[in-house]
Amino acid sequence: MFELFAQSAFSGVLAGAYYALIALGLALVFGTMRVINLAHGELVLLAAYVAYSAENKLHLDPLASLPLAVAVVGLTSIAVYGLLSRIKKDRELNSLILTFGLGVIMTNAILMIWSADIHSTSVPWHHDAIILADLLFAMNSEVFFGVAGLVVVAGLWWWLEKTWYGRALRAVASNRDAAKLMGINPQFTEILSFAVAGLLASVAGIAIYSAKVIQPSLGHHLTVKAFIITVLAGMGSVPGVLLGGMLLGIVENLTVTLASSALQELAGMVLFLVVLLVMPSGLFGRVRRRG
Amino acid sequence: MNKLKIPAVLVLAYLVLPLAVNGNDYVVSLIVAALTIGGIALAWSMLGNLGGMVSFGHAAFFGIGSYASALLTIKAGWPVLVSMLFAGLVAAASSIATMPALRLRGPYFALSILAYAEIFRIIATEWKGLTGGAAGILSIPRLPEIMGIDLGGKIGGYFVVVTLVIAMVGIYAVIRRSPQGLALKAMHDSEDATRVVGVNATMLKALMLVVSAFFAGLMGAFNAHYINFLEPDYAFSGSWTTLAIVAAIFGGYRTLWGPLIGALVVYLVDQLVFKAILPQGHQIILGALLGAMVLFSPTGLTPLIAKLTRLQRKETANAAH
Repeated sequence: MFELFAQSAFSGVLAGAYYALIALGLALVFGTMRVINLAHGELVLLAAYVAYSAENKLHLDPLASLPLAVAVVGLTSIAVYGLLSRIKKDRELNSLILTFGLGVIMTNAILMIWSADIHSTSVPWHHDAIILADLLFAMNSEVFFGVAGLVVVAGLWWWLEKTWYGRALRAVASNRDAAKLMGINPQFTEILSFAVAGLLASVAGIAIYSAKVIQPSLGHHLTVKAFIITVLAGMGSVPGVLLGGMLLGIVENLTVTLASSALQELAGMVLFLVVLLVMPSGLFGRVRRRG
Repeated sequence: MNKLKIPAVLVLAYLVLPLAVNGNDYVVSLIVAALTIGGIALAWSMLGNLGGMVSFGHAAFFGIGSYASALLTIKAGWPVLVSMLFAGLVAAASSIATMPALRLRGPYFALSILAYAEIFRIIATEWKGLTGGAAGILSIPRLPEIMGIDLGGKIGGYFVVVTLVIAMVGIYAVIRRSPQGLALKAMHDSEDATRVVGVNATMLKALMLVVSAFFAGLMGAFNAHYINFLEPDYAFSGSWTTLAIVAAIFGGYRTLWGPLIGALVVYLVDQLVFKAILPQGHQIILGALLGAMVLFSPTGLTPLIAKLTRLQRKETANAAH
């Protein structure tokens, strides 16, 4: 029994690292623009399909397709910003509907370009097993992206805390007008947040392509997962998002092990609702007074 | 002008349209499906327009309504029309479970309703003893025959759905004109200001959620008896929500008839034109439509047309001088 628990927790932590990457992109954009980008999961999926095409047409390892994926997804992400910034009236509601529409467009575009078949990498190294401490089983790609996810999250945290642009981004997130008076260009900062979200989505997309299977309808589920994690974490906490991602990963994996895989999504949803209703500012977020 | 509108709609709905398309079963079934989606779009708009809340999970209420009605007729042997009405009440009752989400705003509300829809879908799949699980329910009783008209037939189903949606529009109109409707409209401009003058905003929002869930459930119940088959992935399918949102936004979700007109236009054009051109992924057009409407005419098609005709009238008036 202990082995089962340990294995689920281990798999959950590894999955949590790339869940956190997806959620951070969503949270970053929400921070600067107060917009939940409902097409964010589709951006992640787009990166995965770029990796698939790079492997099949250019014979690249999924890891080597990162620059290509960053270029494609980064530009798409900035294009999403371009459309969003045109909304003037009723921004909260209209931006939700616009990004929802963009998600539908991207899902169907992926369906038309790459068909409905499911894909995963055929490079064998990614699916080879490693066993840690005679107990914990994982695929090479899971461990690789678990570690890579941690490194990227740490890098992002450092960037947000220590660099000028990172601070500018946090400044715009906390008070747009005051940031503008301090000589920060809010538009540029917003574009930057979408570009960084695209970068994070690219890494996560390649992780999913290497360690899991992809299909066109996956994007929507990824958006929902990312949103669940940001709710678990509370807004404005990078380590919180990482822990939130791992919490979701562990809960999902434990559900699969102890109950059935059919209930995996249910566990995440219930966790989401409970946290949302009991602690609306999240597990690690600061409490904010309304109005 | 306005007095003529209602009889004109009734004549069109009950006389002209059925005569024009009767016999063409394919077109009739498309129109019935479009009006079903129009009904959900109307329910969605009630919550969106009056409650100021976007829901991404109306499929939850639709699915619950369809399962409730199917099970009441099959397991309890209730008459179809009675259980349809009761199924609406069941959906309304289920919305009470979602009420804690009313404290949440904007995207949080939208996505927590989506979470409820997912939970209901999974329950319908896993509770095999009651719902038959993923295999679904076959041969759900069809609509009865009343006064010589077989409501279970294609054109009979049309009369039922058209009656339902017109009744919904009527009730919606009454709600909009009531003091509560006015308070809800004021809430959209400033919830805090409305609270200050003594309006119980949460109560009114909860009321709109219940009404909206009732109507969405009623449409689900109708659909279950019309197509006589249910499975969880179909009844709780996200596309019920997607199509309804596209229809409502396209037609104008702040207007009375906009969601219905939007549903007819969007669904018929999608099925007859886009599906023929793009057999796979034709929903891409719906997404593009949604994006374009939000960017260029956020109030929807019906207000846009009204604005254009007004401009034209002004121009012809100017030309006459």
